[in-house]
Amino acid sequence: MTGRHVTPGASAPHQADHARRIWGFHRLASRVSIAVVAGVLGILAVGQFRGQAGAPALAALSATDLTQLIANLTAGNDQLRAEITDLRDQAAHLTEAHDRGETTVDELTGDLGRIRAWAGLTAVSGQGIAITVRGQLGGDGVEDLINELRNAGAEAISVDGVRIVTGVVVAGAPGALSVENNAIGDAFEIRAIGSPQILTGTLTRTGGVIAQIGTTYPDAQLTVTPVDMLTLPATDRTLVPAHGQPRL
Amino acid sequence: MSVFVARLRALPSVQVTLAMALLVLGFLIAAQIAAQGPRIRYSSEERSPLIDTALSLQAQRDSLKTEILGLRQQIGQLEAQDPGAAESLRRLYADLEQARLAAGLIAVAGPGLAFRFEDGSPGSGVDALVSAQDVRVLVEELWLAGAEGIAVNRERLAATTAVIDIGGSILVNSAYLAPPYLIEAVGPFVEFVQGRVERSGLSLSVAQLASVDLPAFAGTVNPRFARPEPPGATP
Repeated sequence: MTGRHVTPGASAPHQADHARRIWGFHRLASRVSIAVVAGVLGILAVGQFRGQAGAPALAALSATDLTQLIANLTAGNDQLRAEITDLRDQAAHLTEAHDRGETTVDELTGDLGRIRAWAGLTAVSGQGIAITVRGQLGGDGVEDLINELRNAGAEAISVDGVRIVTGVVVAGAPGALSVENNAIGDAFEIRAIGSPQILTGTLTRTGGVIAQIGTTYPDAQLTVTPVDMLTLPATDRTLVPAHGQPRL
Repeated sequence: MSVFVARLRALPSVQVTLAMALLVLGFLIAAQIAAQGPRIRYSSEERSPLIDTALSLQAQRDSLKTEILGLRQQIGQLEAQDPGAAESLRRLYADLEQARLAAGLIAVAGPGLAFRFEDGSPGSGVDALVSAQDVRVLVEELWLAGAEGIAVNRERLAATTAVIDIGGSILVNSAYLAPPYLIEAVGPFVEFVQGRVERSGLSLSVAQLASVDLPAFAGTVNPRFARPEPPGATP
């Protein structure tokens, strides 16, 4: 194995040639380094931009969360399919009536009644649950209950006799609760129409919303009772937007 | 000073470029690691079919929603074509239109606010991830401030809408939504208390807009348990 080295007193052209070679090697190494750094830089920059572009973050979910998401999406899609079936029937009836030259008052009236009931503009009745609340409970606790009732499929909810519709919020510190400018006492009732089994099971499961409220508000006592027939009032609110205009 | 400048000038431009590139590289690596810090990424292969299933269900859901909106529009047009021109029928059409508007089944546009709600920067606190509870608090504040309609990432909030946590993201109307959350509200807002949310370490930016477009609610409005009471009935 031989090594190249320059001895003192070597000729000047030879030294210059050697210096050029070393300088050339350094330049090549620098260029390669810059190319590698630029390559890594590009990959990282693209990764960063893609990560911030709002791409589905499903990769951040655990297997348990994904299973829950799939169950939720499956149930939701089933409901949407049922809605589509009803809407197709409705459209078919309207088309037939239109072709026969008939009026569709019954269809329209039925549709109107259904939408008004769903929105909270008319009173509704049906089976469900009643939650009796006693003791100190804050507005956030009541809102958590309402949210969980909706998650469990409640179709209509009232708090202390006030129908909960869009825009209605139960707010206030414990002992100073109010809904729609009406003060709520320390004892009141939340009513919800829906499947009594599902509503009760969701609220009272281990680690469920009632257990969580019990941790935050230990003085509050909540009792859930399935009820065969409940009647919930209509809202007093005007739900038609005054500032928002229909965008057809 | 002049010695320093002279030395700097003496440096080969290649070295300066390399130093700057390495600096940017370091910054990007740090940003990448920081961005992945709060939201843990799982990498087990068994999750891949689950992710595919969830993506497929979400695509189906979007398609079903589009079909529902199309059918509702078709029904509205058929009702408007009804040959009857009696005053009672015209009133019925008008009532239907108002009920659909009240229920959020029609898209609306109007003055309002748009919020961008996202996780706080790493180090701002352990509670710096936006949760369903945070979104609900903001929504409640907006309702109390007089909002007439609200949408979260284009999902219109209706009387039956729940906002729940799923992993580090949320479900709204059964739709999977990931941050950042765009919360749009139509209404006559005069003032809005922003400090309450900012104190929690989360990042909230807001814009007051002359016109905010809210989509229509595309979920089911067919109650299975609730039956309308006859007019005039008192509970």
